Amino acid sequence: MRRSRRVRVLAALALGAVLALAGCGAGGRPDSGSGGGGSGGGSTIGITADSVKVGSHFPLTGVAAPGYSEIPTGTKAYFDWVNAHGGVNGRKIDYVFRDDAYNPTQTSQVVNELVLQDQVFAILGGLGTPTHGAVLDSLNAEGVPDLFVSSGSLLWDRPQKYPMTFGWQPDYEIEAKILADHVATTFPQAKVGLFLQNDDVGEDAERGIRRYLDKQIVSVQRYTPGNTDIGPQMSALQAADADLVIGFNVPSYTALTQLQGLKLNYKPQWVYSNIGADPVLVGSLLGRFSQGQVTDTALLDGMITDEYLPRADNPSDAWTAQFDAIWKAHGDGGALTNFRIFGMSQGYAFVQALLAAGPNPTREGLVEAIEKGGTQFAGPWAAPYRFTADKHSGISGAKVVRVTGDSTAALGPVRVTNNGDAPITDATAGETPVPPNGIPAAPGGT
Amino acid sequence: MLQFVNTLLTGLGQGAVYAAFALALVLIWRSTRVVNFAQGAMAAFTTYLALLVVESTGSWWVGLLVALASGLVLGAGVERVVVRRVGPHNELGAVIVTLGLFVALQALASILFGAQFRSFPAPAGLEGFSRGGVTIALTPSMLITVGAVAVVLLGLVALFRFTDVGLRMRASAFDGEVARLLGVPVGRMLTLGWALAALVGSLAGVLIAGGSLVWPAYMDTVIVNGFVAAVLGGLDSPGGAVVGGLAMGVILALVTGYVGSDLVPLAALAVLVAVLLVRPQGLFARTAARRV
Repeated sequence: MRRSRRVRVLAALALGAVLALAGCGAGGRPDSGSGGGGSGGGSTIGITADSVKVGSHFPLTGVAAPGYSEIPTGTKAYFDWVNAHGGVNGRKIDYVFRDDAYNPTQTSQVVNELVLQDQVFAILGGLGTPTHGAVLDSLNAEGVPDLFVSSGSLLWDRPQKYPMTFGWQPDYEIEAKILADHVATTFPQAKVGLFLQNDDVGEDAERGIRRYLDKQIVSVQRYTPGNTDIGPQMSALQAADADLVIGFNVPSYTALTQLQGLKLNYKPQWVYSNIGADPVLVGSLLGRFSQGQVTDTALLDGMITDEYLPRADNPSDAWTAQFDAIWKAHGDGGALTNFRIFGMSQGYAFVQALLAAGPNPTREGLVEAIEKGGTQFAGPWAAPYRFTADKHSGISGAKVVRVTGDSTAALGPVRVTNNGDAPITDATAGETPVPPNGIPAAPGGT
Repeated sequence: MLQFVNTLLTGLGQGAVYAAFALALVLIWRSTRVVNFAQGAMAAFTTYLALLVVESTGSWWVGLLVALASGLVLGAGVERVVVRRVGPHNELGAVIVTLGLFVALQALASILFGAQFRSFPAPAGLEGFSRGGVTIALTPSMLITVGAVAVVLLGLVALFRFTDVGLRMRASAFDGEVARLLGVPVGRMLTLGWALAALVGSLAGVLIAGGSLVWPAYMDTVIVNGFVAAVLGGLDSPGGAVVGGLAMGVILALVTGYVGSDLVPLAALAVLVAVLLVRPQGLFARTAARRV
């Protein structure tokens, strides 16, 4: 008895010592950032004469990992390529990404590590609305540029409150507007059902959809991520006679809706948002059910979605060819996927922004350069950014496509719009040509 | 009307899985007087093993057999190696240990099998039966699920009511000391109880996975709802577990279809609280309430 008590006391002491050391570790570097007075009076944490450190958070494990975990591998390959070609103004990009498992608590933790311990210059492409939402305040309080969030939430466009944060992909509202406008003109008689994720994604999307289809909507059903039993919702859509369903959901739920449709013999015209529609990923989930009774592509054939980046399965596209060359040179040996192209495009966007910030970028200078020149930044994306001092929303348009097999076919030109009641128009600018080596040139006519 | 029928059928299909899971909880409760919170994680683990086998052999049934066999071994192993060390009169300790096992096994599954979504093949067709242009949400796979649960239920009732082994198991659980004096190999009976319960749990795991997606935490909702189902039916009663499971499935499907999917966890909690307030011993238990 006495011995075990002594062991316990020792253990408690050891634990106390460890905690005390950990406390010192966390608090021991408050002044290390203030060395960055730098040129122009801005913060130069994370940037030196020959390097710039960039951080990010992604779900590398967990329910959101399929597909999304490939994004940072694309970004990394792109940065390796740029470094092999001399870097940006002589600076090599040091890219660090960490796993948050799509869990906001972990996002806070890993982003704290990136900012305080790794001392990154900027955060690039952090993925997810609930996850990135958890670090929005701290990044802005610390003055860390928070560029090109990988989520279509409207949350990233609040420059008054969050001056350091910028969106990237078309937000769910304008994506929904573009899809709904297509449905309203192409299927004017359709009885429309909505299948929405029960959070910002669904709310923003419903707002956009109702601008064009309010009178055609016969049923709105929602699902809670994690609950895979969506039979009742699908029965309700079927009972309402919806013959066209618009889904704003993640890829696994695209697979589940298709399976449930099979069960109920319910075959409406499906329209999925870009986030849930990757035919390769959804096909691979569906393809393995029931030992071949569900073939991978048959269920998805004919569904409608939208695109704003070049596709991996389209090697005739000059951008895809360039990304393929980059992936072959610096990738991990796996296939070039749409998710990796997404990551590479974000890498491209970051290099472009860094160049625009001049030869000696500061954190403040980077943000200012994007606000000043952002609408002119051209790249693989289908439509220009909406970045100004008053607006931090990303890509302004997308084109509506139909899935055929593992690939897609365009149903019209790129459509461009903005939030609220802004009209939808055809894009005026054509496709952006690929710059030499796929690396953006410095702005200002050089 | 069709919507109501289909929602009901979906609920019954889901309820059959809750029932299978509740049966596993009842089994372990009757044979050892412990509630096993690790049941779901153990089932997820054996389901992953089954998935490996299904993918390499192409046969769902071989996968099921492997899941059942590994469930049997895992259940016996957990009892022998972990739970027995907690001591015979330390039920609360055993419950806490199962909670720890739950976390550990789930983490181990993520490490071994990866944390991403994977599709699990179905035993039979996934298309609903149709007649005269009307399709109802009843598939061949669902029939297999319901059939499997019925077989397990009958088997358990037969085991506990009509066999010597069942009687010995109940005796060991009820009073180990007296049972031992009467010549019952109590230790072996406890191991057998755990093994059988894990086998039934593995069955539930494979049944719910068929034709859907699995990931290490996919059993979490089943654990909660299966537990509520077991309490609803009375932890002592296999028949009660089945009725409780089906009732939970139908209630939750109706809530999802007609009220809102975000209220499902709340509805499960409401049922649990209502049962504990009104009839804490459950609908079908004959004995007085026991503290869990």
